[in-house]
Amino acid sequence: MKNAIKIIASLFLLFVFTASVVNAQKWQAPVLSKKKQNPYEASTRNISSGKKIYNINCKSCHGDATMGNMLPLQPVAPSDLGSQAFLIQTDGEIYYKVNKGNGAMPTFEKTLSDEDKWMVITYLRSFDQNKKESKKIVEVKNPEVTDVKLLLDINNENKRILANLTGVTAKGDRVALQGIELSVKVKRNFGYLDISGDDAYTNEKGEVNVQFPEDLPGDREGHVNLLVKVTDDAYYGEVIVDRIASLGIPTNPVNPLDERAMWGTRANAPIWIIFSYVGGVICIWGVIFLVLFQLIQLPKLAKNKE
Amino acid sequence: MKEETSNNSRRKFLKSVGITVGAAGVVSGFSLLGAAKAAAQEPGETVNLLTQDGQLVQVDKNQLRPTVTGPLTELQKRGREGIAGKSFVMVIDLSKCRNARKCMAACQNHHQLRPDQHHINVLQMQDAEHTAPYFMPKPCQHCDNPPCTKVCPVDATFKRQDGIVLIDNERCIGCRFCIAACPYSARIFQWTEPKDAEKYKNLTYNIEANVPQKKGTVSKCLFSADRLRENKLPSCVSSCPNGVYYFGDQNEDAVTNGTTHETVRFSQLIKENAGYTLMPELGTKPRVYYLPPKNRAFEFNGDLLNEENLH
Ligand code: SF4
Ligand code: SF4
Repeated sequence: MKNAIKIIASLFLLFVFTASVVNAQKWQAPVLSKKKQNPYEASTRNISSGKKIYNINCKSCHGDATMGNMLPLQPVAPSDLGSQAFLIQTDGEIYYKVNKGNGAMPTFEKTLSDEDKWMVITYLRSFDQNKKESKKIVEVKNPEVTDVKLLLDINNENKRILANLTGVTAKGDRVALQGIELSVKVKRNFGYLDISGDDAYTNEKGEVNVQFPEDLPGDREGHVNLLVKVTDDAYYGEVIVDRIASLGIPTNPVNPLDERAMWGTRANAPIWIIFSYVGGVICIWGVIFLVLFQLIQLPKLAKNKE
Repeated sequence: MKEETSNNSRRKFLKSVGITVGAAGVVSGFSLLGAAKAAAQEPGETVNLLTQDGQLVQVDKNQLRPTVTGPLTELQKRGREGIAGKSFVMVIDLSKCRNARKCMAACQNHHQLRPDQHHINVLQMQDAEHTAPYFMPKPCQHCDNPPCTKVCPVDATFKRQDGIVLIDNERCIGCRFCIAACPYSARIFQWTEPKDAEKYKNLTYNIEANVPQKKGTVSKCLFSADRLRENKLPSCVSSCPNGVYYFGDQNEDAVTNGTTHETVRFSQLIKENAGYTLMPELGTKPRVYYLPPKNRAFEFNGDLLNEENLH
């Protein structure tokens, strides 16, 4: 009996031990893949486009980088991709893992382009305090400004939107802000459709020129709700302008109930169905009544004959 | 003379039967009125009420409940009309589905369904012997030429102006013609008392959620019509952890992903990914589009309820 208990206890311990080993087993990338280098430089542009891709593809599970607000999944919660513990890995290692996926983590081998994946890695690397792999390169230096203004000039004819970003320097001059990414969005029922394209960075005049899609529907009059903002709030806080513009294609919503159809309820059944049905009912009852009428007439006829 | 008396007595008899049945109706009506509340509360103040047949009765105040007929018909009216100017469509990206079944759980939660009842079901598909298997969530297709509404003898199931096909459980007589007519097996029948029937019994019937469910009637996917009224995405769409679902208004040519909240052009999404509809040869014109399971985000894991898939 004692033996049996011992055996059970040792088996249990063994089980717990193996389980913990399996859990602790780390997800390792092959040595060769670790050497891969990020071919893209850590420019502000690459970082901000990496952030966009991150927000769409990674954020729903991993949360915001460095915030630790990932989804609490079992048995392994997704890691905070902005944490130093994660960023110890080389670019090649991260690239490998993004490609392959593991368990609940999807593979992005075919769902994201190589460039997109490197952009995300560039973005994540921007949280690396050691900045071993890449340094953040700032191309343009804007002066310190206050009272940042975003002005919109909409050309209805060729459907172009011109946004102009300026700020007031310490000396009191209004100057253009260069190299800042803007997002141009159109409001739709459940979210905003981004139409800014790949290169919505302000030029030396502080301007971004965006082409509104030729075939995007608006309401009955062609009105759409435009929203233009500085993509990254970290620069100047939230800078947003919204505007109703008549850039869309005027669209008259079709009400399927306007048409009489077979699938319609009684109220909009096709006329021919109503007619043939009512006609059929009248005919059948008509015949029955005719026969009954004749039957009633029979005795009378007999009497008359007599 | 004799005949007359017998006639009279028959009439009397009928009258008395009528009165007793009527009275029973009133009594049972009252007991129904406050059964739930009376059990929970102490008897308090009483009020004098005039019944329909002119009798004065004293009723416990606790037993009085607001009438439900007003809001009920109002809900049913707007539920039948739908949301003006919209034309809802759904896009399901099969390359991202890994059978997490979160959509099913959210749906069952929303519509008072037991775990074995499905408005949306994730199926394991294999089209032919040598083709690759994949997972396919299948809700009601909200057909633009729905065979189900054609066969309903009592106008209980209908299509609205925003394209959604609904069922009025208050009208449905449970003939199940529509189940037979639907080629996508999208409809279910409530054979028994629905889940949590006790809990939901005092709720006003909402035609846009089919809640409370009714025994002996038909129920199916509603595109979460009640949530759409608040500009919220359907339950299944917003609960998917893997970005499978897009939902939006076709009139705006935009659909929004429930997981990433990215909004994309509907026409482009369908065009670039060769989107298709189920069984187009039937001419039912579904409003649910599928993107083929190519370039998958997950390897297919054949086991339907594989532990690893369930997140
Ligand atoms: S899928 Fe079935 S239930 Fe849904 S609209 Fe089409 S025929 Fe009707
Ligand atoms: S089961 Fe209900 S909804 Fe379906 S056809 Fe019969 S009455 Fe209509």
